[in-house]
Amino acid sequence: MGDARGWRMALLPDTLVNPPRPLRPPPAALPDVLGLLETCGYGVLQLPPAGEHRLLLAVIADQIAEYAHHGYAVLAIGVRGEPGGGGLHWRRLATLLRRRGAALPPRHLIRPDVDAGREGQRLAALLASYDLPAAEQRRWRV
Amino acid sequence: MEQSPPRKVALMAHCLLNQNAKVCEGARYRGVVNPVVETLRARGYLLLQLPCPELAFAGARRWWAVYEQYDTPAYRAHCRRLAQAIAPLIERHLRAGDEVILIGLDGSPSTGVRFTSSRPDWGGRPNRPEDDWEIVPRRGVWIEELESELARRGLPPVPATGWALDMGRFDEAGSRRDLEQFLDGRERDTAPRHENPAPPRGENPAPPRGENPAPPHGEDPAAP
Repeated sequence: MGDARGWRMALLPDTLVNPPRPLRPPPAALPDVLGLLETCGYGVLQLPPAGEHRLLLAVIADQIAEYAHHGYAVLAIGVRGEPGGGGLHWRRLATLLRRRGAALPPRHLIRPDVDAGREGQRLAALLASYDLPAAEQRRWRV
Repeated sequence: MEQSPPRKVALMAHCLLNQNAKVCEGARYRGVVNPVVETLRARGYLLLQLPCPELAFAGARRWWAVYEQYDTPAYRAHCRRLAQAIAPLIERHLRAGDEVILIGLDGSPSTGVRFTSSRPDWGGRPNRPEDDWEIVPRRGVWIEELESELARRGLPPVPATGWALDMGRFDEAGSRRDLEQFLDGRERDTAPRHENPAPPRGENPAPPRGENPAPPHGEDPAAP
């Protein structure tokens, strides 16, 4: 039996998994990030909405570290202007990941104040090109 | 202050949004399981991804396993920690009167809803010559622990079904029909929905679960 996994995934704030109602469908000010990720073969790690989620963020950090240590490419996609560094609980995650020996993933922030189509194209280009170095891929992805 | 209207929320097995969490050879999609996401979004559901208990416990390079191998005190304690992490978000929705459903992964030893995989004699060197586990009508370990945590908080059972990804023979069209039937049934059953939100903490709702573990689209639950 084959395995179809794409080996790439994105951390997403809740607001990009569940865009606010007036923005749907299709979002007027935010691109359909979930749709783009599906098209580009990325998985999703959903972050909780703003607030205190200490235990849940620790659990999510465990998972990010496990992926990062085993050949998966992890990217963070946030929304500029959202609290928590784009809705990503960024400072908290930085601490949690450091304790687990993992680095913060690269972060891409979507601008809600510009054309959603162009923002979608910018994100799609990043998603298409982003991955681990070839040597890392060969090491893990057999 | 204006009260927000009730919403529809789908608790999603982690790997329905991220197939990278699957055990080796278990991923049928590159990342997002689009048929599930598309069906839920088209019906107005918000998505809430559950943590993956197996990934965080046994790692990304874990062996395949059956229910009995994960039915251990240590794994159940791990699942309870995860349940305590996600339960506050679920509780918030239920107490607000939102309609909450759960989409698990049928056949999974952890996330199975209607069915899990069973083979009491699995263990030792992982060299089984073929897929010789059985599918039995039962929750997976993680779903059992998650439901226990919600019950401990005095919350009503969440209507649940499973995407039949780990049943041995995966039939996407049949699984999609199953899911749509489940959601259509919810629409019918909850016509005057949102009128009975979860009671305040301390009151015991205690309704029976009352779900029918019928095999998905005609599969024999005893078949491997």
